[in-house]
Amino acid sequence: MALSQPRQAASLAADLVSDITRNERDLSGKAFRIALLAGIITAFVVLVVLIVDVINVGSPVLSERLGDLLSSTLGSKPETSGLSQALRGSFYIGVFVLLVAVPLGVSAAIFLEEYARQGRLTRFIDINIRNLAGVPSVVYGILGLTVFVQALRAFTGPDSNGRSVISAGLTLSILVLPIIIITSAEAIRAVPNGIREAGYGVGATRWEVVKSHVLPYAAPGILTGTVLALARALGEAAPLILVGATTGFLTSGSSYLPSSLQERFTALPIVISTWSGRPGEDWRASTAAAIVIMLAVVLVANAGAILLRNHYEKKR
Amino acid sequence: MKSRRAKFVAGLTALVLVTAACGSDDSSSTDTDTPATTAAPATTAGGSDTTAAPAALEGTIVVSGSSTVEPISIAVAEEFAAVNPDVNISVDGPGTGDGFKLFCAGETDINDASSKVKPAQLEECAANGIEMIELKVGNDGITMMTNTANSAVECLSFEQIYALTGPESQGISSWAQANAVAAELGETGTLPDAPLSLVGPGEESGTFSSFVEIVIEEFNEDRGQDATTRPDYQASADDNIIIQGIQGSDTSLGWVGFAFAKEATDVKVLQVSEEAGGECVTPTDETIGNNTYPISRPLFIYVNKAKAESNAALAAFVDYYLSNDGIANVAEVGYVSLSDADLASLRDTWSTRTVFAG
Repeated sequence: MALSQPRQAASLAADLVSDITRNERDLSGKAFRIALLAGIITAFVVLVVLIVDVINVGSPVLSERLGDLLSSTLGSKPETSGLSQALRGSFYIGVFVLLVAVPLGVSAAIFLEEYARQGRLTRFIDINIRNLAGVPSVVYGILGLTVFVQALRAFTGPDSNGRSVISAGLTLSILVLPIIIITSAEAIRAVPNGIREAGYGVGATRWEVVKSHVLPYAAPGILTGTVLALARALGEAAPLILVGATTGFLTSGSSYLPSSLQERFTALPIVISTWSGRPGEDWRASTAAAIVIMLAVVLVANAGAILLRNHYEKKR
Repeated sequence: MKSRRAKFVAGLTALVLVTAACGSDDSSSTDTDTPATTAAPATTAGGSDTTAAPAALEGTIVVSGSSTVEPISIAVAEEFAAVNPDVNISVDGPGTGDGFKLFCAGETDINDASSKVKPAQLEECAANGIEMIELKVGNDGITMMTNTANSAVECLSFEQIYALTGPESQGISSWAQANAVAAELGETGTLPDAPLSLVGPGEESGTFSSFVEIVIEEFNEDRGQDATTRPDYQASADDNIIIQGIQGSDTSLGWVGFAFAKEATDVKVLQVSEEAGGECVTPTDETIGNNTYPISRPLFIYVNKAKAESNAALAAFVDYYLSNDGIANVAEVGYVSLSDADLASLRDTWSTRTVFAG
């Protein structure tokens, strides 16, 4: 009995291998595969239908007056209204996110992962940041209204009652901060400990290890988080409504940078939501065209970040 | 690698400097601006500038309030801005009530309103020392119509209109089927047992929201319904198609904006009473003008008096709003223009800057 055991074991193993590899017996595995496929197909079909529909509805506007649409201002008639002010507002919001939220978020992530002593307090902070990422965006709008629009009015725009692109940019920066912290912290955590130890082993300080080893290694992950954050900020409408984006009509006043940041503003998602409520086929077409342009803007921003990420990935 | 990092740091530093500069810029500009807006006409701001022509208007005008009035204000602002490029104007339409909150906080210069200011809003403004000039710039009115062959119906009460077109009427295909709901609301009259063919403006139209706000919202909350019409009626964005639909069936019911209905022929205009058994009123220029016709409402702009006195751009804007060119936008947008007498008294209220006291 004991002697024949190895043979039996060998045949058992062969059986097992054939069991695992022979697809027809692996019914649940097959079902799982089909479920996964269904998931990706659903997501893809919805996306394609949405894009095709929007392009279809917006095509008359896109083909006839694309340049005009990009250069005109808000107005009462669909034939003459345009997105120049909305594009400018969204551009500044993007810049604010990149210059305010990204440095702050990455710093916070570095501190949490590399400097802070891991304990109850850091875990508590970590949980809170994760919670903040799930807070509805209107809540950030209320925060922006009370802090940036009202309390910091002297800085964000005394003449526009604080309803400026500075308030909007800062509000959305805070909105995306948790996303940046979480993704950056994940990326930093994924850096193999050996890299840190090697650095310390040759006598590097903590700052040198972080700066020259951890950060470059984590850069692709951090950039992915930045892309997500940027796309989220560019697409948010609810907080901007509370901050006071202009919906109806706006004359662009000063084009000088510091002061124009303090003036009333509008942004792409706001214009899309306003136009979509206006009556008639022409507004519908203009709204669709605005959506296409918004998609293009987000795509360009994402493409830029992906190029950067690939650049860093090659480096490491 | 190193130089790139240096550039990045330099860029960040530059940003910080810019932000700081803009912060300090700010406080100094507030200091100089505040007296200019409260004490002297806005042209003084240009006066310190040796090159600026004294005639060019400068300043900021902020309009908010009713989304019903918003299209008029946008159209007026567009025309005004074309002539006065140095004036900053923004127009919004968050709603009459939200608009008054901003207006009473002193944030906006003009509040558009599709209903008269409420005593509470007036008090809130008064508490903040804000005096307002009430200017009625036009009227919003909707005409109910049926086929000329329909002799059984002359007048509809709000209760009956709700029972025929409100959310609870979904599925009914005869006028008589609306009697039950109308009776629950207190209506004693009955509607004929005749096929009901409904035509009206689609959801995306301004007339649709006016209709819901004026008629449906009288009842929907108490009845536990949404503020909307029944979904199953022939909807069109084109008023001509609505009129054709009314002409196409002997016992049809339809509604369009009064300005358009006035020009429609071969349809029977129905009288309307605001409550069951109340007085039936025919929509005419006069009954819409004094808002005795129930499906009508006045459209106002409320101007902050102190700001109108200190801000020359604002005064000029309202001047233009009430001029023949400006006020023509009321009809262009689809609302009912004021009578000549009302227009004259409107201009009088403005030129004397008469404060509205409630």
